[in-house]
Amino acid sequence: MENNKIYILFTAVVLIAVASGCTSSQPGDAKLTALTIGVQPSTHQVAEMIAMDKGWWKSDLSKYSIVKVEDKLFPSGPPEMQAMIGKELDFAYVGAAPAISAISKGLDAKIIAAVQTNGSGLVLSNELAQSYTKPEDLIGKKIATFPPGSIQDSVLKHWLKQNSIDPDKDLRIVAMGPGDAITAIEAGRIDGVFLPAPSPAKIELDEKGKIVELSGAMWPEHACCVIVASGDLIREHPDMVKEILRTHIKATNYIYSNTDDAKKICSEKIGLSEEVIQHSLDNWDGGWIVDPHSIADSVLSFAQVQYDLGYIETMPKQEDLFDMQFYDEIA
Amino acid sequence: MKNHMFKKRIEKYKIQALSIFLFLFIWQLIAQYVINDPLLLPSIADIIRAFFKLSANIPIDIGVSLLHLSTGLLFALLVGIPLGALMGWYKNADRFFNPLIEMLRPIPPLAWIPFAIIWFGLSDYSAGFIIFIGALFPILTNTYTGFRNTSNLLVEAAKVLGCKKNKDLIRHVVLPSSFPYILSGIRISIGIGWMCVVAAEMFGLDNYGMDNVGVGNMLWQYYALHMMDRVALYMFILATIGIAIDRILKYIEARLLKWQSHTNIAQI
Repeated sequence: MENNKIYILFTAVVLIAVASGCTSSQPGDAKLTALTIGVQPSTHQVAEMIAMDKGWWKSDLSKYSIVKVEDKLFPSGPPEMQAMIGKELDFAYVGAAPAISAISKGLDAKIIAAVQTNGSGLVLSNELAQSYTKPEDLIGKKIATFPPGSIQDSVLKHWLKQNSIDPDKDLRIVAMGPGDAITAIEAGRIDGVFLPAPSPAKIELDEKGKIVELSGAMWPEHACCVIVASGDLIREHPDMVKEILRTHIKATNYIYSNTDDAKKICSEKIGLSEEVIQHSLDNWDGGWIVDPHSIADSVLSFAQVQYDLGYIETMPKQEDLFDMQFYDEIA
Repeated sequence: MKNHMFKKRIEKYKIQALSIFLFLFIWQLIAQYVINDPLLLPSIADIIRAFFKLSANIPIDIGVSLLHLSTGLLFALLVGIPLGALMGWYKNADRFFNPLIEMLRPIPPLAWIPFAIIWFGLSDYSAGFIIFIGALFPILTNTYTGFRNTSNLLVEAAKVLGCKKNKDLIRHVVLPSSFPYILSGIRISIGIGWMCVVAAEMFGLDNYGMDNVGVGNMLWQYYALHMMDRVALYMFILATIGIAIDRILKYIEARLLKWQSHTNIAQI
């Protein structure tokens, strides 16, 4: 019996020691030489793709001993934020809504810049699109969008409520990634999708549906993608954060000055034809931006929507979500 | 004698309960004092609190997931047992179907999701189909093995006694002889089918007319919202239901195969 007690105690001590060992190594302990960026296959985040394609991340950050920069593609914001929780990402291009959700739950990170506004579209099957005139026409229909906690889920539910439609009772909103949602509407298995560009353009070009609403009309000038930097990066490498912002601004300017090249880079990165990217940009209401001040109110409105939907338990303040000092110093 | 057996059983359960209690206790200590971040590892106390918050919805979630499991399993049995029997009894059927089975078997159930959506839409049949794929092969291969392993001695003896038609031989000799294999295949199929529930409910489904329900569906939704205490709670629910199903089936198996108990190796 005494032996058993010793064995149990020993096992407990070993397990605790192993767990402590796993968590005691902080990123700041060693010199940071590699950066990992989170990004999604969307025209929203083309600035990141340009900086990566041109080698700007690596060259601009080399003065801070960075020798390797890689990016990881995620289908939507929630899994991207989950990777950040797991300390897999140093900074991420991601929708403001999943960032709010993750930061409110304790993710050690802050929004340091804006990336883009608007840019999503409600696509209905060809038959429904012909008769669609108002939001009430969606009652009883099945619409796929990104999972709860995403920009698209928040915008769609907010817009429906504004039009006196109960998103839980009057229609069915199903959570899906972009690939599944496109497959489902093209196979005629759902009535519509609400997705970020360029997915709506792809469905239109495949002649399987029509864009009937743009997200800018559903929620004027709503914030969409932002850059979220990890707390470790902000605290231990503030100069690097400023350099990241400079590169982001340079890449954002490049989109406007070299749109054709930007389209080509985006097309190669996300594996869709240039025709789809072109069609997407011709038919979208989005804009690429950098100033985090310009989206602060909109981001807080998203937080309010998430709070009202019960996705977050406390309403965050602006300073809980943003760290604008880096932008202010370089702007 | 009975009293001794009862004491032995209690002793066995005490050790099992201690193992679970110790695991939960160490989890709580690590979560509270070492990790101290509910996003990385929610504590047992967090998970219990989440359970009380969601206790009204949990039975509905379990019910819907069990319905998805039943749909997939029913079709797996309807296809797996006759096909396994056919392949086990007729060599040419084995030669014909074996390459197809070997080709399809390594494909993970998750890989079938795009086709499940296209073929069955966002319906409960889609979830049933994913579970069907996971559950089919254990029952099929076990039925096949049961038929192949039927002793020739039994078949020949039955023939000598006048049981000559294939139908009669299968019904009176091969099927009863394969019964332990088939039952074991069903148990494995249900276990694997239950493991497929999370993947099967990953995308939006009809959920028998109810919104946002199903153990797998809720696990994905809470994951998207970074509510890790709730994710862990649904993982516990999956584990508990999985163990319960396995225990019930083992009990049924032991009752139905009492005649075979003399061949079992006693557990120490």
